Amino acid sequence: MALETPAGSSPGTDYLSLFAELLEDFASLDIELSMVRRALGRIAEAMNAESASLFLLEGEHDDPRARLVCQACVGPSDITGLSLPVGTGIVGRTVQRDEAQLVADTRLDPDFVPPSAQMDYQIRSLICAPLSVKGQRLGAVEVVNRRDCDNLFSERDCEALATLANAAALALTNARLMQQQVEQARTRRELELAASVQRALLPRDSVSSDWVRGVNLPARGVSGDFYDVLPLPGGSIAFALADVSGKGMNAALVAVKAATLFRSEARQMRKPGKLLARIGTELMETMSQGMFVTMVVGIYDPRTYTVRFANAGHEPPVWRDRDGQYHAFAAEEPPLGIVAPESGVYPETVLRLDGGSLYLYTDGCTESRDEGGAMRGAEGIQALIGRYASLPLAERVQALADSLAPDGADLRDDITLLVVEGKAPKRARRDLLLRQSFPAEATQLKVIRHLVADIAGKAGMAAETAQELVLAVDEACQNIIRHGYRDHVGGRIDLSMRRIAGRLTVELVDFAPPVKQDECKGRSLEDLRPGGLGIYFMSALTDSMKYLRPPRGAGNRLALSKRLARKQDGEQG
Amino acid sequence: MSFRINEEGGAATVFLTGDIDLETSPLARQTLLEAVGRGMPVVVDMGGVSYMDSSGIASLVEAFQKAKSAGHEFSLVRVGGTVQKVLALARLDKVFRIL
Repeated sequence: MALETPAGSSPGTDYLSLFAELLEDFASLDIELSMVRRALGRIAEAMNAESASLFLLEGEHDDPRARLVCQACVGPSDITGLSLPVGTGIVGRTVQRDEAQLVADTRLDPDFVPPSAQMDYQIRSLICAPLSVKGQRLGAVEVVNRRDCDNLFSERDCEALATLANAAALALTNARLMQQQVEQARTRRELELAASVQRALLPRDSVSSDWVRGVNLPARGVSGDFYDVLPLPGGSIAFALADVSGKGMNAALVAVKAATLFRSEARQMRKPGKLLARIGTELMETMSQGMFVTMVVGIYDPRTYTVRFANAGHEPPVWRDRDGQYHAFAAEEPPLGIVAPESGVYPETVLRLDGGSLYLYTDGCTESRDEGGAMRGAEGIQALIGRYASLPLAERVQALADSLAPDGADLRDDITLLVVEGKAPKRARRDLLLRQSFPAEATQLKVIRHLVADIAGKAGMAAETAQELVLAVDEACQNIIRHGYRDHVGGRIDLSMRRIAGRLTVELVDFAPPVKQDECKGRSLEDLRPGGLGIYFMSALTDSMKYLRPPRGAGNRLALSKRLARKQDGEQG
Repeated sequence: MSFRINEEGGAATVFLTGDIDLETSPLARQTLLEAVGRGMPVVVDMGGVSYMDSSGIASLVEAFQKAKSAGHEFSLVRVGGTVQKVLALARLDKVFRIL
């Protein structure tokens, strides 16, 4: 198509510069209404026309219910908001045929629909060009009434408008795609934020005792499952495990509410059946229709190995007795949020574990897939429980979690399980001074430093030496947060401290991608630039720094050791 | 958390306080660079700093280099024992002008 300045029939119409100007505008990815109006104004002016308007298609062009709605216009009569059925008028014809239309004299075109009488506006001649990209119709641009040339538009005017409309359609498509991307990114960010808020509100992973231990692996950022373990004054331990129906934010918020209720009520109420009823009543008042929560609440007295629990519609807890027999306890009452039990309390089961253990789990566990891709079911879970029954509690919970959610597995549902241990541990692990998980976030470093300094002090390390260990641990955590998790929220650092043979060893386990060892060399000190100091600090401030084989499912395991007694002078190096 | 800049006698003094770690060093860095940007000698008062790690050091080094390339003095004052040790460990006690 020729773009030279037309002469004769359209005096003074400099399309070339108009194209250049408008294309520049359309190149922007963020099109605003004011910009569209300005562009329409320029087109009307360049074509010496009385008015110009932009119609966008709402619906598919081949759907008779679709409408063409005027989004913006310039000219003596404002028709913004005017909505036409997709099959009518010249605009409709333009969109249907996906082809620019020149109507030199509207009186001679049978498709022409005159504006309503109230508008007091005569349309004598018009051109209309489709906005479409590769057959995908978006709408049309219409230009009305040439002021000169006896009100007649020419083929050239029509072609020019068609070219402009093409560019506008591309710009519009880009803007819409961009908008979608922005919205997706925003949703992702909101989910990340929600996940981090939920993690802060739900009981931490580290909540556990020597007797009751759980694990929660969310399928997505936010989880509708939770468990909690709450040591009570006097030595008993309250615990809960729940699964909220549905997924996503709604379920996550109800989970937070149920967890909060459990925390606050369990301190006063020592009867699981009453406790569960109280939580149910509170939840019913606020939960939206159709939502429900399956929940087991219990209290365990490790001195007598007696557990007392109540179950609202949850998967049957399973007791594996010391002879390896399994006993399931099916719920007698429906989930919370549907109907309160007639008696006002949930029936309780009292069980002496007597050397065995009680296992609670959500349906994410029974519905998980085994190595062969088959759904595990209750039997599959029992087989897993049997496989790891001889492991100490903490290792057993970890092994079960690793089997239910192998490394890199795409979880279909949240996986949550909790184990109540019915026998005393073989020997107390005296050397273990601390085991705690932290969110991998900069705000946690202060807490970690205080904790490490405190425990090092209690273990007999001199304050100055402890300060060096603290700095080394801080640097290691920084590396995990910045280089391991790359500042993404949601990561976790498992920190443990042990005293072995006159040394304190701090172990840091993360779940970030494994680091390449050769990338961990400290930089030369002559190389004066920000960053890269951390590894050097870690090795200079400790007696040994080693990457060990990480546990299953983890990314890295770093051990930093430092002698408890101060180094002799001259040994410093 | 906020760090203060005080302009007096033709020099900008930055008062850093508390723990300068991964959480607070971005703000420390921003404050230091703002002081350097004022185009005069910069004095960093470390008297209130209770703890500093490599991310704090990185902020100081970056500000120091910007000041140096702009031809302005950059010095540290009231450096406490803990900070002094970290600077010494990074061999920066000889690089920075410590008054």
